[in-house]
Amino acid sequence: MANTMLEVDRITVRRGMDIVLSECNLALDGGQSAVLVGPNGSGKSTLLEACAGLLTLEQGEIRHDNIAVVRPDGARAVSTTLHGLTLQRNGAMGSETIEEHLRTAMSSVGRQTDLQPWLERFKLEHRRHDLIAHLSEGQARKVAVLAGLLPAFVAPSPGLVLLDEPTTGLDAAARAQTLTWMNELTRRGHALLVSSHIEEVVQTCTHTFDMASLQLQASTSPPDSGEPTSSLQPVATEPLTTESGGRFGRRQHLRTQAWLSINGVAALLTLGVLLVLGDIETSLSASQTLALMLAPAAAAGLVGEAMASLGREERCDDWRLAVGLGTAHGTPLIAALGAAFTLLAGIALTGGIDLRYIAAGAGLSAVVAWSMGFLQRSVRRLARPQAVFVGLFTPVLLLPYALLVDWLA
Amino acid sequence: MKVRVGEALLLIGFLGITSTLLLALLWAPSVSLDAFESPAAQRIFYWHVPAAWAAFIAFGALFLGSAGWLFKRSERMWRLHVAGAEAGLATGLITVWSGCVWGAAEWGTPWDWSDVRLNTFGLLTLLAVYLVLGRASQPDGIETRDTFAGFGLYGFVLVPFTYIATRIWAIRHPGPVVATGEEGSINGDMGLVLLVGAVSFTVLIIGHMLTSMLITNSEQRLLQLQRRMDGGGP
Repeated sequence: MANTMLEVDRITVRRGMDIVLSECNLALDGGQSAVLVGPNGSGKSTLLEACAGLLTLEQGEIRHDNIAVVRPDGARAVSTTLHGLTLQRNGAMGSETIEEHLRTAMSSVGRQTDLQPWLERFKLEHRRHDLIAHLSEGQARKVAVLAGLLPAFVAPSPGLVLLDEPTTGLDAAARAQTLTWMNELTRRGHALLVSSHIEEVVQTCTHTFDMASLQLQASTSPPDSGEPTSSLQPVATEPLTTESGGRFGRRQHLRTQAWLSINGVAALLTLGVLLVLGDIETSLSASQTLALMLAPAAAAGLVGEAMASLGREERCDDWRLAVGLGTAHGTPLIAALGAAFTLLAGIALTGGIDLRYIAAGAGLSAVVAWSMGFLQRSVRRLARPQAVFVGLFTPVLLLPYALLVDWLA
Repeated sequence: MKVRVGEALLLIGFLGITSTLLLALLWAPSVSLDAFESPAAQRIFYWHVPAAWAAFIAFGALFLGSAGWLFKRSERMWRLHVAGAEAGLATGLITVWSGCVWGAAEWGTPWDWSDVRLNTFGLLTLLAVYLVLGRASQPDGIETRDTFAGFGLYGFVLVPFTYIATRIWAIRHPGPVVATGEEGSINGDMGLVLLVGAVSFTVLIIGHMLTSMLITNSEQRLLQLQRRMDGGGP
């Protein structure tokens, strides 16, 4: 008997001031695919995102393979059963290449395969090393769909795949290919939950879930199962290390040079102001000199973590969170900036080099940048995250700076 | 005209803090020149300390409201969260502003970035600014309320920390003058003015919060009516 891959147990979900889902139940076994049907605003994407662990539940519980992944008290567990996710937004940063994004997606299940045949079927092989930002909307959507399907194909065991409007924006050939892959994944024992308005998708799935009645029904016209399941060839795979948020963040920082253009420029400007002051060292106390020496490092951290704002692009952060990849950050690079600018400020102010101060500068910029990144991400659920003023808390991050100066001096 | 309890308390509290100001300036005894750099500026103390006391009440309400919303989904508790944030902003700004004036006269600097109490109280006030401005920038909804209630809970951690900061980590700000368990340096007349100030600010802040809760309730009713006209809500 197939495992129950997804159990939605009497969940209630609110969005804005509305209760979008009320006491909703759904169970999906391996080898079943369900399409969510209903008009716009009926809660299809809400149910799908709740199943991905991206929404807070008012009540009820969501389980993946009998493990509670979302509970109403806010407790969450990383799902090891979620083998693919495509959101309505593409979930990819524009500064990733197609290959990088698909490898990142596959790293969530720890296996990889040769991308060439998959890209050929979507006519993307010639764009393999292109940035996602340089693709057309349809091409970027194809990448998002592949990122939702590929991990399931390479995963060592069947799991759950969540697809939100996967065929929207695709041409006829890509749509047909997507439906073929979905059908194949179902026959390989995966459970698929799909949101779609497209009739072809409804006909491809084994079940429909009506958002009005909240009832799961077996499809009246079961999909053509094609070749027997036993004839399906396993996908050749090899191990792939899960890409941590730090590694991903560093790569994006280096690609976009955000660490230099945002954090570096802030430190440089602060250093510039110090240099404009001229030969002031003789008139300063030891603690004042140290405070000035560490000021560029503090400024590098205070301008925040670029990955926190870049992660909002196409809901990249949400996608990474749902598939169990860490939050992107570039803290080590910002720490390196802190060390370098403390060294420069030290030479400019005292003419000497003190390794203790350089280490303190690195630590200070890392802690402050991490705190700013935390603040920037703490508002991600808001409707208008850019309109709130997390910068108001910035002055208080001067406290560790002042305490550090006091301590070192 | 019907006068509501909140508005009445607000008026009484306002008269009380005005009286405190007059008593502080005209009646309270002067402090010793040996003990203070600027004895005249010390009179700010009669507003500064009661305002800080009222701010702690407001931040307590903010904490209760935040917890009540997050754990009970209570509309009344959300109104308390809003009222606590607004009252915390008002009293927090009075405390910070009066403290800066006093600090400039007494210490020669209005602010010290290395003083834990100044900075934690500054953070509490910034939290209130953030919550009040942030709420105005967002549509009302579960996501907005959960996020800001989370910040409200976090902010309350700073309240006891701020209170004990001067005991465990005294840098510049003087230690507590009330609830110390020791005989303080405040004489009878000074204590009386301080008491009048504390009671007045307490009445004012309770009136402020009751009125604010009433206004938020009206806003919520208006939103509900608008949604009904849109064909949405119940």
